[in-house]
Amino acid sequence: MAQIDVTLAPARRKKSKKRSLWADAWLRLRKNKSAVAGMIMLATILIVIYSSPLYLDYDNDVIKPDLTHTLQFPAEGKLLGTDELGRDVLARILWGGRISIGIGVLSMLLSSIIGCTLGAISGYYGGKTDGIIMRSLDVFMAIPSLLLMITLVSVMKPTITNLIIALAIGSVPSVSRMVRAQVLYIKGQEFVEAIRAQGASDFRIIVMHILPNAISPLISQFVMEIAGLILAISGLSFIGLGVQPPDPEWGAMLSSGREHIRDVWHVTAFPGIALVLTVVALTLVGDGLRDALDPRMKR
Amino acid sequence: MQKKLLEIKDLTIKFHTDDGVVEAVNKVNLTVHEGETLGIVGETGAGKTTTALGIMGLVDCPPGRIEGGSILLDDRDILRLNEEEYRKLRGKDISMIFQDPMTALNPVFTVVDQIAEVIANHQQLGEKEAEKKAIEMLELVRIPAERAYEYPHQFSGGMKQRVVIAIALACNPRLLIADEPTTALDVTIQAQVLELMKDLKTRSKTSMMLITHDLGVVSEICDQVAIMYAGEIVESGSLEDIFENPLHPYTNGLFGSIPDIDKEVEFLSPIEGLVPDPSDLPKGCKFHPRCKYAQHLCSIEEPVFQETSPGHYAKCFVYEGKLPVKEVKKYE
Amino acid sequence: MGRYILKRLAQMIPIVIGVSVIVFLLLSLSPGDPAKMILGLNAKEQELQLMREQLGLNDPIPVQYFNYMKKVVVGDFGTSYSTKQSVIEMIGVRLPPTLILSFGSLFTILIVAIPLGIALAVKQNSPFDNIMRVVSLFFAAMPGFWSGILMIILFSVHLGWLPANGFDTPSAMIMPIICSSIAGWAVNSRITRASMLDVIRQDYIRTARAKGLKESIVIRKHALKNALLPTITSVGMAVGGCFGGSVIMEMLFGINGMGKMMIDALRQKDIPTIMAGVIITSVIIAVANLLTDLAYSFVDPRIRSMYARRRAQRKEVTGNGAN
Repeated sequence: MAQIDVTLAPARRKKSKKRSLWADAWLRLRKNKSAVAGMIMLATILIVIYSSPLYLDYDNDVIKPDLTHTLQFPAEGKLLGTDELGRDVLARILWGGRISIGIGVLSMLLSSIIGCTLGAISGYYGGKTDGIIMRSLDVFMAIPSLLLMITLVSVMKPTITNLIIALAIGSVPSVSRMVRAQVLYIKGQEFVEAIRAQGASDFRIIVMHILPNAISPLISQFVMEIAGLILAISGLSFIGLGVQPPDPEWGAMLSSGREHIRDVWHVTAFPGIALVLTVVALTLVGDGLRDALDPRMKR
Repeated sequence: MQKKLLEIKDLTIKFHTDDGVVEAVNKVNLTVHEGETLGIVGETGAGKTTTALGIMGLVDCPPGRIEGGSILLDDRDILRLNEEEYRKLRGKDISMIFQDPMTALNPVFTVVDQIAEVIANHQQLGEKEAEKKAIEMLELVRIPAERAYEYPHQFSGGMKQRVVIAIALACNPRLLIADEPTTALDVTIQAQVLELMKDLKTRSKTSMMLITHDLGVVSEICDQVAIMYAGEIVESGSLEDIFENPLHPYTNGLFGSIPDIDKEVEFLSPIEGLVPDPSDLPKGCKFHPRCKYAQHLCSIEEPVFQETSPGHYAKCFVYEGKLPVKEVKKYE
Repeated sequence: MGRYILKRLAQMIPIVIGVSVIVFLLLSLSPGDPAKMILGLNAKEQELQLMREQLGLNDPIPVQYFNYMKKVVVGDFGTSYSTKQSVIEMIGVRLPPTLILSFGSLFTILIVAIPLGIALAVKQNSPFDNIMRVVSLFFAAMPGFWSGILMIILFSVHLGWLPANGFDTPSAMIMPIICSSIAGWAVNSRITRASMLDVIRQDYIRTARAKGLKESIVIRKHALKNALLPTITSVGMAVGGCFGGSVIMEMLFGINGMGKMMIDALRQKDIPTIMAGVIITSVIIAVANLLTDLAYSFVDPRIRSMYARRRAQRKEVTGNGAN
């Protein structure tokens, strides 16, 4: 029997919930398997390393030599063996991690603050200010960053504070450049003109509107820079210009262990592994952040 | 009647993605005769480009897969060819030009280089001779020889499209597939390029398959027309058949939605509804949710693509006599 | 194009000068007495005063700087405070190993990373690709001095195939160059892969296939040239890193290069040597940057046009052939 029965195909519309940019990014980050792996790795590393003061004592566990039990692996009560002065390799790795990561993070923060300031001023005001700042940074960039850091460290006393400053200065040129590029891009967008038309002061525009927008693509770069700085501090310590003995540091441990590679391998293998794992974790998180925060990424 | 050059029978192409299976091309039947121009008309997403890529053997597999049918070129099923044999056809027997001329040319090679390349690839010619022939092709598409050694970014959109045409025609293909060749150009350039194509067509007797959504372009240059909807051909016939006696409700809807400059109307009359999602096609006749004449039968069974008058085919229950309605109102 | 090169070379000069000013300032203001370095700790105060006068250390810093640079422009880099040798001679001996190490490592990076990146792009998501993703991640995290130590343990200590020190024979060069390159392989193969994947999706690749070209030609000729730009950028930026990193490699493998020379000089506040090292290094790096830019224009005709267009614009502005 003929019936007039027209059914429209149901238009399937995906419900779009309102989500803030950050919540959106967090969701994407959580879905990214390797980023999650990296975050777990990083969290584990940080927890293990930063909880070490609870069960390690600096004087007894980390720096006290025990010349009767040098270069042993395995060793009693010492999971990763002993180094050339009989000290617990694992304890030194954990303690050294606090130092390395701490320096990496602090110098990154310092260079971000300086870099954001310079980049923002340079990008926002343009003209002569921009020219001067960029030319000066060009000069700093002409020296390879490691050489610059080495030079700075050599002329200052090798305290931890000075190390942080030297590393930060070494990173400032590239950070400023990145921030400046972002600021230029955002400055050209219409909402900035709109805010300026409302009479906002330059300072307010830069700090409250431009920088927050500029930073999110840069966050992943910052995380990767921390990894780079940790490698740099290890390199510096390796050649004796970084963290000074008896404080443990991964690169320094590699350097002192080097003299004994004919006999044992554990003194050089384990600090290196710690270094690689930390950098890998940071890289994964940094990559994940870049994918999660970049609004233009297509799946 | 001219000889059949290309015959597509029941071609089916599906894409297997993480979000489901996309049925892009469903049992398509088309024929192109020697020397004729077939226009394929349909909205975006109807499967026209996929069909063309299927003919060229350029469908991305994975995730795409040709799951049925045959494509006969001179009675040889080219879907059965291996990759190397297929390669010999591309650019030589069958050529294709794509929609966007701005991105179709490689930015790091000169224009003459890109034309000479296809010549040298298919014909055993030395570098210098291939280049000479390439420059001849450029002049054929009305680009002066002095500009031969320039790079794509130094040309305008219309000229780039002409270079693309030169590349496609360089080895004298028997079939040229043109996928919306003028859509990305502005109207005046469009007219130039169309005129050029008509000219080349008469000169070289190349058969052409022109994909477009623009009925105006079809009327300019096509001999035969096929209407495509949701991966299927719903109607096909000669230009006169389709324009003067459109059968399928969709075809009539298309004509009806073109505003008539002589009539005074308050509203445009588009076809109700939206093009279906190819990963979730309606059951039965794929057009039934939007069809004014649809009955319950249309939602459960598919009509047969049959000849209603010589050379004029349609796929609709109205012409199978299975519906109370005996006639589809023209141009509405 | 020639004018562009000259312009860039001219721009290098203020930068090199800037670098020399900064380093000179840093060194002059930092603690330590060169006179003591030269004459030894037991020298008498009188002798020290005399030496300071000789070295011009009592002049104001700008004057010291100008005097120094006056000599540099005629090629006199002075005498080392610590080794008492002519600095130029020292550099003549120490520069070649560093150059071989740095450029050798850049070269190996290119010849490994580019083909690897292409292969990974073509075989996207294959088991090979997935394994290499993890491998690259770890290789990029391994500092050169650690992989160096591991390689020494394996190849020198246990297998005895390669020497752990020195740089005079080809077999001595293998490990240092490879260790300097490992991270570069990882990073640049990823960059090449990403760039190739991007390029392969482009319309002009589809056009190339529609011409009936062999897939290998499509990849090698059409895709690669377009994909190289990010890799060139990255390798160009790595030049600086190589020079910095060579310091560590030289210390590890006992290579008598510029890096080791600089470290020793920094320890002893040997100003002439440090200055010479810094100046020469920055010149080399600036030239390398210029070569990178030229490589861009060689690969991408759009950039070449940009350089030519600037020239043409300038010609318009300055009138007919103002040169």
